[in-house]
Amino acid sequence: MTVRHSLLGLLAQQPRYGYELRAAFTALAGGSDNWNVTPAQIYTTLNRMLESGLVEIEPSDNGSTSEKRKFHITPAGLEEFNRWLLTDVRDEPQQDAFYLKLMLSRHLDFVDTSRLIQIQRNGLYRDLHRITQAREKLDQRTDLARIMIMDKAIMHLEADLRWLDMVESRLDEVVKQPPPEVCLRPRGRPQKNSPGSDRQ
Amino acid sequence: MAIIEVKDLTKIYGNGDNAVRALDSINLSIEEGKFVAVMGPSGCGKSTLLHLIGGLDRPTSGSVMIEGKDIAKMKDDQLTELRRRKMGFIFQFFNLIPVLNAAENAALPLILDGVKQERAKARAMEWLQKNQLGDRSTHRPDELSGGQQQRVAIARAMISNPLIILADEPTGNLDTRSGDEIASVLRSLVSDWGRTVLMVTHDPRIAAYADRIIFLKDGKIVDDTLMSSDAPENARRLKEKVESL
Repeated sequence: MTVRHSLLGLLAQQPRYGYELRAAFTALAGGSDNWNVTPAQIYTTLNRMLESGLVEIEPSDNGSTSEKRKFHITPAGLEEFNRWLLTDVRDEPQQDAFYLKLMLSRHLDFVDTSRLIQIQRNGLYRDLHRITQAREKLDQRTDLARIMIMDKAIMHLEADLRWLDMVESRLDEVVKQPPPEVCLRPRGRPQKNSPGSDRQ
Repeated sequence: MAIIEVKDLTKIYGNGDNAVRALDSINLSIEEGKFVAVMGPSGCGKSTLLHLIGGLDRPTSGSVMIEGKDIAKMKDDQLTELRRRKMGFIFQFFNLIPVLNAAENAALPLILDGVKQERAKARAMEWLQKNQLGDRSTHRPDELSGGQQQRVAIARAMISNPLIILADEPTGNLDTRSGDEIASVLRSLVSDWGRTVLMVTHDPRIAAYADRIIFLKDGKIVDDTLMSSDAPENARRLKEKVESL
């Protein structure tokens, strides 16, 4: 959805060709290493937005492929973009893949939980190192916008690392916690004679 | 050959029931021209390790080889000589002399070594300029920001042309921005000047400038990571589990 609305935003600035839109999105998102969108993604998105009337093709420029067609935004598209723009952005910090690994590993005897923490930490440090190195090469005067997004990534990685340190320091207690309570209430109408049928 | 080679290094403070094992049989090899960070919770032994490698303290047992020579076996004057010629130190609180200006502080190691004032100050100016402090050379420490003071301290550490820079929490007393600057200077000592930097820090942001991070806990190395390669996976235990299924 973010790509879709960003394309709308780029079209709100000015009409653009399909190939221009991909290049403009890539530049906006901080380079293809940072956020790679394929031409197919762009053109599928553009075609869907055409169908829903959010964008239109310039009448003078009706080429055969999306790449060569020039798009402009419609009033409906502008409204949709504005609605998206004015909605706050949330991520889901409590849906954490590493947390699941950690919790699963507690009750598996072949996994060394503290090793999981080390592996995760190594990965985070490598990311932090890579971004720090890339950030060092940028010029504070001309690349400030890109430095800002790198700073965001660095700060999040720092927070993840601090959290890992905290988990590690309390790992003995965490490992001893009882497994989470599982609710096994069957969904829908209970089947007759099934073992769970007498439950509420 | 590794420029720093630590073997079975143990340091015990106190004795009897009060003995504290600050370092417990550490083995470590550091290649020349690398930036290495040492991390770990407070009291893990990271500063002790740095002090032993820098010859600021003597080990209880084990050896510290600098360019193949065991410094644990050196006499005090030999050790002082090695510290002066081969090592530069950077500390959390800069340790500059308040009554001396930036150039005089940076020149101090050479002056103490008997180099003439003029020549020593000229060398100091070179390193101050490399640290973007050319226009601050006559300022006293209290007229400089924390980041600037630390850059004077780096100039002082570099003036005797050491191979190894030992930094103990060099950004611990600085704000984030100045901390980044100092880490960046340390990085360039390695990348541009080919020096070896060993840095103790608790700050992930600063450690991320290094090529390698060593994690200490309770006086032992618990992990050792190269920033550019993949972590080894604990395959053996999984194999055993697969075979048991």
